Amino acid sequence: MKGSIRFDAVRKIYRWRGRRNRHETLKGAFFRRRLTGHRSAAEEHVALDGINLVVDPGEAVALIGPNGSGKSTFLKLAGGILQPTEGTVEVEGRVTALIELGAGFHPEITGRENVVINGMLLGLDRREIESKMPEIIEFADIGTFIDEPVKIYSSGMYVRLGFAVAVAADPDVLLIDEVLAVGDEAFTRRCLDRLARMRQRGVTMVLVSHDLDLVTSFADRALYLNRGRVAAEGPTDSVVARYRSDVAGDEAGGDLKASEAHTAAEGRRWGNSDVEIVTVELIAGANPQRLIASGSPCRLRISYKVQRPVEDFVFGVAWHRADGAQVSGHNTELAGLVPRRLASDGEVSCVYDSLQLAPGDYFVDVAVHARDGLAYDYWCDALRVKVTSAVEWPGVWAPPHRWESSGPIWDE
Amino acid sequence: MTVLRLLWKHRALIAVLVRRELDARYRASFLGFFWSLLNPLLLLAVYAVVFTYIFSPRFPGADPYPLFLFSGLLPWLLFSGAVLDGSVTLVDNGPLLAKVMCPPEIFPAVTVLSHLIHHLLALPILLVATVVSAAADLHPFPWTFWMVPLALIPWILTTGGAVFAISVLSVHYRDMRDLVGHLLNLLFFASPIIYSLDGLQVPAVLHRLLALNPLNSLVAVYRDIVFTGRVPSPMTWLTAFAVGVASWWLGTKVFMHYRETVVEAV
Repeated sequence: MKGSIRFDAVRKIYRWRGRRNRHETLKGAFFRRRLTGHRSAAEEHVALDGINLVVDPGEAVALIGPNGSGKSTFLKLAGGILQPTEGTVEVEGRVTALIELGAGFHPEITGRENVVINGMLLGLDRREIESKMPEIIEFADIGTFIDEPVKIYSSGMYVRLGFAVAVAADPDVLLIDEVLAVGDEAFTRRCLDRLARMRQRGVTMVLVSHDLDLVTSFADRALYLNRGRVAAEGPTDSVVARYRSDVAGDEAGGDLKASEAHTAAEGRRWGNSDVEIVTVELIAGANPQRLIASGSPCRLRISYKVQRPVEDFVFGVAWHRADGAQVSGHNTELAGLVPRRLASDGEVSCVYDSLQLAPGDYFVDVAVHARDGLAYDYWCDALRVKVTSAVEWPGVWAPPHRWESSGPIWDE
Repeated sequence: MTVLRLLWKHRALIAVLVRRELDARYRASFLGFFWSLLNPLLLLAVYAVVFTYIFSPRFPGADPYPLFLFSGLLPWLLFSGAVLDGSVTLVDNGPLLAKVMCPPEIFPAVTVLSHLIHHLLALPILLVATVVSAAADLHPFPWTFWMVPLALIPWILTTGGAVFAISVLSVHYRDMRDLVGHLLNLLFFASPIIYSLDGLQVPAVLHRLLALNPLNSLVAVYRDIVFTGRVPSPMTWLTAFAVGVASWWLGTKVFMHYRETVVEAV
């Protein structure tokens, strides 16, 4: 299926990393081969060993791990830049690798010509690139500089143009290597918003990052690599917790403060369990999201299990910000739904035509309770969502709006 | 053959990259593309002065000598320029190879093609020079000049093979880049470019050795057509094409052997 990634028993060995330098000399090639007949093991470096992974279309997977654990090698294999030494890598659909923004821009030629070349490398033809050019220039926000040689660009313009052309290629699979760390805050915000929108369209993403907050707000699933092997794999929160505890353990001799802190931060939850909430997900496009672009249509999907049938029940959600400020609360009772019977497992969704929230981090409490307040299952912070937007604005409400005026003269 | 198929698949990209190569070279220079004409013209002028007033070598059938020399030098510059650039083309484009997905075979092709374009731009200078010397009654006009495209085929094949091989070898063995310059220098003097094998006064052993140089037939074909004005013998044609095909075959074979590891080594 388009957008899927499959690693099957992948092993990647780098050769020619000798002690003196990584490039063989002719002399070395002649003499060593003559003496030993083959290269010695000291010149090999196993970057990845026995990696199995299937990423489904539309999924977002994060790779975490210390430096040198094989994360970038993984991305390069998935991107087809490197070939596995053993095993197979299959990627369906168009792949774009964001490994270094603006990599390969030629300094002497204009931004526009560089965009054409990079676009073609990403699999677009000339006409497609021309048609996307206004969008690219707009996102890169470089105006008339597009027709200047790239060597006079500021580093900000450089990375913005690099990002713009890479995402303009409309990939089915996007591989991201720590590139969100390179720009200023405004750039990171715009990129994140763009990525959130692509996620909602169903683009498969693999993210490599040391920013664990970004990882948890971005990915559904995480892969923790250590020395080329998978140390842990699973839901992002638990894998990140495991990684944090390993790092803390390495640093402080095995104390688990970090993971304790994490469990303490996890939601409080109470109730008599007559009805139990199983999962809470924010669905946009076809997949659950942790990252959502402001103004997107979405649904909060609550799936539940019934332990004991009840006739008095209310489903409710409450949004609040990380600082505790209440944002909104709504439930089925306020919406006029009169409960009759809840006897079998199922799902309840709260549908938002447009999520009018300002960018930022939000937490969602989800509850099912009786009308008098008796809790069956009350789950605080059941879900954490990061709302993105291309521009920053204060407050919590982001209504669609426009300005009308008579008198003032504006620059377009 | 696989290389040809890969190149054909990426023809649009190669075209754009050749443009970039030419654009980047002449960008911000006042005379721009005229340098492609001016370079060989100035070269011809220098050789004409040096070999008319300082040295005046005598070889049978090599008059006027500057023109004789120029007709040997032009295809040699195509070959040596491409090989020299070929030894750094993959390293120079390392970011594209390692950070963006990019098939490595396009870069040697771009190198050869951009040098071919320079060569084609220099041809009018050669043509004008032959016309001028014919008008001045120094030399009969070579009516075989129109066969140049045919003479270029073995040169392109030979150059292509050499560039493909050198490009991957110099990524994997960094000494290659130093070595290439010296090898080219040696090959230049071992090829009948500034001299002709016929009138060469050297020991018989050396003469026999020089006669083994595979480039001889290529130089002969080109010079026969644009200078001497005779159709090369079938044997010369055959040898030149055989050298070209062998070089292409061997060069692309070496390239494919090292292709997979280019990104790691670059």
